[in-house]
Amino acid sequence: MATNSIKLLTGSSHPQLAKLVADRLGIELAKTMSLNYSNQETSVTVGESVRDEDVFILQSTAPGDINDGLMELLIMINACKTASARRITAVLPNFPYARQDKKDKSRAPISAKLIANMLQTAGCNHVITMDLHASQIQGFFNVPVDNLYAEPSTLRWIEDNLAREVQGDAGGLVIVSPDAGGAKRATSIADRLDLPFALIHKERARPNEVSRMVLVGDVKGKTCILVDDMADTCGTLAKAASTLTENGAKDVVAIVTHGILSGNAIDIILKSALRTVVVTNTVPLGDKFEKLGGDRKDGKLKVMDISPTLAEAIRRTHNGESVSFLFTHVPSS
Amino acid sequence: MRNTLIFAGSSCPDLTHSICGNLGMSPAAVELSQFANGETSVKILTSIREKDVFVVQSGSPKINDSIMELLILISACKGGSANKITAVLPYFPYSRQSKKKSHRGAITARMLANLLHVAGINHVITVDLHASQMQGFFKCPVDNLHAEPLIARWIRYNVPTWREAVCVSKNAGGTKRVTSLADALKLNFGMVTTDRRRGAKDMTASMILSGRYDGSAEKDVDSGVSKLGINDDGEQDIPFVSRARTGRGSDDRSERCTHNTTPPKKTHASQSSVTSSRRAPTPTITSPLRSEHGHTSQPSQSSLSHTNNTSIASPIEEAAEFTDELAREVTHGRLVQGHIVADDYPSPSHSAMSSSIILDNPDEDPMTMSHASSFFTSDALGGTADAVASSDEEEENLSNPHLEQMITLVGDVRSRTVFIVDDMIDKSGSWIAAAETVVKRGGATKVYVIATHGLFGGDALEDLEDCNCIDKILVTNSFPIPKEKMRDSKKLVVLDLSVLLSEAIRRNHYGESISALFSHSND
Repeated sequence: MATNSIKLLTGSSHPQLAKLVADRLGIELAKTMSLNYSNQETSVTVGESVRDEDVFILQSTAPGDINDGLMELLIMINACKTASARRITAVLPNFPYARQDKKDKSRAPISAKLIANMLQTAGCNHVITMDLHASQIQGFFNVPVDNLYAEPSTLRWIEDNLAREVQGDAGGLVIVSPDAGGAKRATSIADRLDLPFALIHKERARPNEVSRMVLVGDVKGKTCILVDDMADTCGTLAKAASTLTENGAKDVVAIVTHGILSGNAIDIILKSALRTVVVTNTVPLGDKFEKLGGDRKDGKLKVMDISPTLAEAIRRTHNGESVSFLFTHVPSS
Repeated sequence: MRNTLIFAGSSCPDLTHSICGNLGMSPAAVELSQFANGETSVKILTSIREKDVFVVQSGSPKINDSIMELLILISACKGGSANKITAVLPYFPYSRQSKKKSHRGAITARMLANLLHVAGINHVITVDLHASQMQGFFKCPVDNLHAEPLIARWIRYNVPTWREAVCVSKNAGGTKRVTSLADALKLNFGMVTTDRRRGAKDMTASMILSGRYDGSAEKDVDSGVSKLGINDDGEQDIPFVSRARTGRGSDDRSERCTHNTTPPKKTHASQSSVTSSRRAPTPTITSPLRSEHGHTSQPSQSSLSHTNNTSIASPIEEAAEFTDELAREVTHGRLVQGHIVADDYPSPSHSAMSSSIILDNPDEDPMTMSHASSFFTSDALGGTADAVASSDEEEENLSNPHLEQMITLVGDVRSRTVFIVDDMIDKSGSWIAAAETVVKRGGATKVYVIATHGLFGGDALEDLEDCNCIDKILVTNSFPIPKEKMRDSKKLVVLDLSVLLSEAIRRNHYGESISALFSHSND
């Protein structure tokens, strides 16, 4: 039907991921140039024709550079729009401002909704993203949103790297949610692997009492896997890990989708009881990988590559095929 | 209030009347009717030009008619040059469809938000949205009020043993709501989760845990429970056969008591006191300040059974105490047709276990494969917990007579009062399963079922009423409950939301802050 082809553009935030996705699709990244004026305004030039093409713009959010990345994305979308692209899909592996998704306090802004409006105003026709902080964000858009999951990759990582524990040897495994809100994510993974799960609840301070972490569930002698959708300063993860160790956990591993690792996350991880933190490459890690031990055997950070999932979603979207398969499977390499 | 009009939709006239009563005004004159073909017609019989208009509409059994009526009312107000139109929706219809549940699922709640915009609203006031992210579906401001302070207040005044109670979530998705109430009341919390994927494999764990009970007590429990199982088998088509069990209250009670690690012989004292408290009259609408006379005997009863326990089964009790302090109790139970069964209950033809194995290894027997896919269509597609419809799907599995599930209680509820909390009660299956788990497996003494929205679809209220493990059902009047049902129900307590809503309306009209309505009073 369509004679148009995929044009994959990338913002400047995560060139490595864009390269992986492009390689996977067997195409070249479209030539773009983005630079800042001396007053820090962003300027984008699209270096090749996108007229009547199926345009995908990949932009992640590097911590510390989020607003610049967002502005660049909006300008890029608008540039393609005015250049008569047939369809513009924003590929946002890590949706910015996703945590501000509700009025949890009086007068709190719903910034995620604002981002959704801005993307649509710029001219975005479709959004592909991964592990949204809350699925309801899909409803903030009036255009289709494909929310991909890192869970299949997580399951595969556990099966590949902790096979003995999955079988119940070496004390066995337990899936732990570091807060009450993530209980559902943890039980889902526990269900799929047929493992027990536990939950850590941070009790709000009672009068004349220090706030404490309450562990619900049995972890004694077991390897614990903490699961969450994002790790920012890692304070919660570190506290959860020490709670688990105090309660007799044999080993603690954390698996998170978005490893933002901002602030002094590196120090916190290095000092924590966590043996390993596993993240995906949705967020550019920069030199953090090296700082946490890199490829060494005792390196504290492991990275799962989710570019095959993104590439496959792009390919399927372009060809008008169903994306459902990707919700439960990792594309074979 | 000057320049203010409050319109009552046809779904909740009583609630609107009490809201208007609180504000010292009467509902604005409007004629709501339907044409013979079912089309809704609205005639506004008073001037609304430059007025501040509030339209109150909740859900009703004819939900789509209610929505259409609301939209037409708003549109009529817009056309009549109202200054500002606020939709007051104590229960937001379609709020459970707030995300793509399975693939290609519609986000109906957002569509409804768009429809309200098109009709012409400027502001929305609602109570306990199913997901608070839904506020982002609107372009206009949304005031999502909380019934939690009201519920907490009722608990403090009407549950004598509330300081020792435990808040329990009946599924993993609602944990946050429960911990919030637990924090407000400074209580412990627990969680019940049903798990399709754990069949006989985890039996050892459950045997070990129940092995902690006194041997004779357990035998008694098992025989009692398997009696239930036979009942269930008899009526394969009706998932919840609780009606068949009415009149067996005392029987089930003894079961409950023996689970408190008390040998059967010693239960008589506590048993009789429980049954007497059950017979006490229950007010249908309780004012928050009134305490229930029926439950005053409760503290003495629990202390009595407690002393009995320690004198006879002290080592066992010690073990229970130990886990209590660490708050890491995990209890398993088997769930067939939505009811707890004994550990030696024969497994139904297709256990959840076998189907899950099939899902994970597609090269298994193709016959069972096809069977499994019919059970798990939505789940097989929905990759993560977040995508799966929790409560609705739970209900589906509960009513499946061939499917056995493993139900897990995390947290310690032994000899305590339990509050099972969620945002709405529609079907009863998951509530009954959770209540049976905390009583029969966890050893809870009393169960309060608490939700903001009492939808009570089908015979849910009757089923809850018939469940011996549930002592009280606490909801608000956000969703209209038929008067007959309220009268017939002995366990139902309905809290009045009109004070909260009228205060929100008043503050909105005068441009005052509504933050105070979110805070808990400490009186």
